[in-house]
Amino acid sequence: MTFLTKQEILLAHRRFTELLEGDERNHPNPRVPMDVILTLTELKSNPFKKRICQVFSTSENRDGSLTFEDFLDLLSAFSDSATLEIKSHYAFRIFDFDDDGTLDYGDLEKLVNCLTGETADTRLSSEEMRQLISNILDESDIDKDGTVNLSEFQHVISRSPDFVSSFALFLFYPVFSVPNDAILHCFI
Amino acid sequence: MDKNSTEKQSGSFNCIESVYESPFCFVFKHSQEAVILLTRSRSGFAGFLLECPLRSTMNPTAAQAWHRRRNRAVLSRPWSSGTQFSPWQVQQMQVPAQFNGGSWKQKRIKFVRQFKSNVREWQTLLSLTGNFGGGVQSYFIFLRFLVILNFVSFLLIAGFVLIPGIVFRSVGIKPESSKADVSSGLVVFYEFFLDLLSGTGFMEYSYLFYGYYNNSVIVTSLVGSHFSYNIPLAYLLTAVFYFAFCLICIIVRMGKAARVAVTTGGNDVRSYSMIVFTGWDYGCLGSKATKLKQRNIYYRLQVDLEEERLKKHAASLTLCNKVTLHSLRVLMFFVAVGLIVATFLAIARATTFSQVVWILGLFYTYLPSIVITLGNFLVPLLCDQIALLEKYPPSATVVVALLRFELLGILLFTLWKQIMCHDSRDKCNLCHYNHEDYQCWETSVGQEMYKLTLFDLLVSIALLVLVEFPRSVLTTWCCCGLTQWVGRQEFVVPSNVLGLVYGQTVVWTGALFCPLLPLINTVKFVILFYCKKITLFYNCRPALRTFRSTTSAIFFLAVLLFGWILYFNVASLRIIDSASPNRIHPSFACGPFRSFFRMWKIVPESFSTLPEGARDFLFFIGSQAFSIPLFAISCVFMCYFIALASIYGKSVAMLRAQLKLVCVFFLFITEIIS
Repeated sequence: MTFLTKQEILLAHRRFTELLEGDERNHPNPRVPMDVILTLTELKSNPFKKRICQVFSTSENRDGSLTFEDFLDLLSAFSDSATLEIKSHYAFRIFDFDDDGTLDYGDLEKLVNCLTGETADTRLSSEEMRQLISNILDESDIDKDGTVNLSEFQHVISRSPDFVSSFALFLFYPVFSVPNDAILHCFI
Repeated sequence: MDKNSTEKQSGSFNCIESVYESPFCFVFKHSQEAVILLTRSRSGFAGFLLECPLRSTMNPTAAQAWHRRRNRAVLSRPWSSGTQFSPWQVQQMQVPAQFNGGSWKQKRIKFVRQFKSNVREWQTLLSLTGNFGGGVQSYFIFLRFLVILNFVSFLLIAGFVLIPGIVFRSVGIKPESSKADVSSGLVVFYEFFLDLLSGTGFMEYSYLFYGYYNNSVIVTSLVGSHFSYNIPLAYLLTAVFYFAFCLICIIVRMGKAARVAVTTGGNDVRSYSMIVFTGWDYGCLGSKATKLKQRNIYYRLQVDLEEERLKKHAASLTLCNKVTLHSLRVLMFFVAVGLIVATFLAIARATTFSQVVWILGLFYTYLPSIVITLGNFLVPLLCDQIALLEKYPPSATVVVALLRFELLGILLFTLWKQIMCHDSRDKCNLCHYNHEDYQCWETSVGQEMYKLTLFDLLVSIALLVLVEFPRSVLTTWCCCGLTQWVGRQEFVVPSNVLGLVYGQTVVWTGALFCPLLPLINTVKFVILFYCKKITLFYNCRPALRTFRSTTSAIFFLAVLLFGWILYFNVASLRIIDSASPNRIHPSFACGPFRSFFRMWKIVPESFSTLPEGARDFLFFIGSQAFSIPLFAISCVFMCYFIALASIYGKSVAMLRAQLKLVCVFFLFITEIIS
């Protein structure tokens, strides 16, 4: 079951086949390795790119490589029409860095580091990190077991009005090649 | 990437035909087979290449219809994110080099659409939230509110005072006494410029200032109908209604903002888990945009954590610590007062100096304004440093910077002193005011306010051009240690807001004496809006301290209200109707009130012309038999509403607690079931 329209699937197929090498295109079900997927412009600068690939990957060794079906699953979960439950489910899996089904201290720490940036001057100090994570656990950990499970996570998400619109990724055909340091601007 | 398409694209920057435009998207012809659709997105523009077999005539309506049919999925997502374009690329794309026919109708449609999109931008100010946070957006919303307020006030004044004045003057009713006439013939250019900037000369004897309006009562009987228009009464009542209107607008807006703040619960909404779990925008593209967003989140978390730490620290102080902290605060308060007294003396000297020394240098006439503006910069800066020392949390620094208003009051007080000649008694013997130096003292006061307003605007623009742009250019291109330490300009919301409130207070003070001042202020604020927006995007980095937008809106309006109360009570009331022996007589030589002992006297006099019934009714309303019961009933209603408000507040808190309990119960049940 997918939330994508026919056009979006066709566009996805087009973008996916671009990523393949010449001889792979004849393969019945090609699998694209993670580092090639990460060259997509839509994913290139996302701090959660590796986790996204790992979550949607169906390979045995969970190395983040995607087949076309995995790619469609990814786009479907990130599309406009996906429901809040689907999105919060996948968001939880993305944030669960150690794949143990709950968000514990280590997961939250990695999450905050992804959000603020990996460089040394944008990391929170360990004292601030501890204060922040204890605040987060105070607010969202209702059964007080020291971790945030899926239902508690979904409870927090449901109170946010714009989660659905921010947890969205659109594939498009790039019209102009843009240098990496294009400046973000809006105009009067 | 597709190499062929890149080659095609690089060549096609130069001549792009626009096929269809709307506030949300532009369509350009790319080749015979394809069009480019550019839509506005949350973070810039999104580009889509759509292949479609276009007809050779390039009929816009056909293309439009085709797009609507086939690309409904794309067009229905106006806020999708896309590739970022650098500004010059988009500028080039927006200007079509060849336009199909270029008929008047199409140009007019394009102009109207552009205007509508500008208006929409004014209405929504959406582009600001994403980039710079809620605090900056609330500043621009406040500025927009002030522009609208000033414009509507100007319409009020124009309708009742200005237009009748112009009409009657052109009809042929001359004023009884005229001031020294405008020098006709060749006027040296610099004199014209000086007059423009200081409100003297040709500007003094114009509709701009109080002195030009005559005190005639126009009575015409035309075809049997009796038409009379009392200009002085219109002038006074318009001023009173103007102040009342401003007060009502501010209070209504405060009510709306307070309602929003109460329903969203103020600080509780953006809790840490919300920021961390839902704060990231997955459609954000480009490494620079990502870094910007990451930095925003980092600063936000830091600010919240720091405020929490300070609160905990303040709560955990021992008695001894509290005593030391409070004594330190008292000491700093005295230091601040000392600074104020010093600036007071400086301004007093500057004002006396400028009025006495009649060298017509621009510098001397602007001296009070210069000193005030310098004081406006230095005193809040110093108080900021003092406040840091006292370890106030960041939001409380604003309160300390309210000293700006003191300086305006000081200027008025020194002017008052001179007009009432506290220094030399002999000038005031004839007219009870200094008629030698000030033939028309209201115009002088109006001129001072006009100069303050103009100077404020010039200083803002000069700062922009001379300080902020070079600073940003330096920090971008020159990588030495000093420039990196200075850093880019930060858009500090509190001091900017105080600048706006100060400007508005000056206008309120001067509106009685300079009726066109609201119009000048409207133009000034519009210019300021665009200047600040430009400087925000090109020069500023995201502020280090974020401001909560819900509570900040209320706070800005509260400061504005405070300014209104101060200057309405102090300035206008004393002048319109002061009962103390320090009253001042309206000028004998000019203005609508020259024959009245006090400005308010015209109202009782016009009462006598009203019909019997209306007069009795108005006297009854003013008498004690009516006002005391009214006061008692208002007290009863006020108590009732206060009780109601506290009940609602308690029920909101109770409902929130209940919600938490229900959620715990629900989770518990789901865990048992699963």
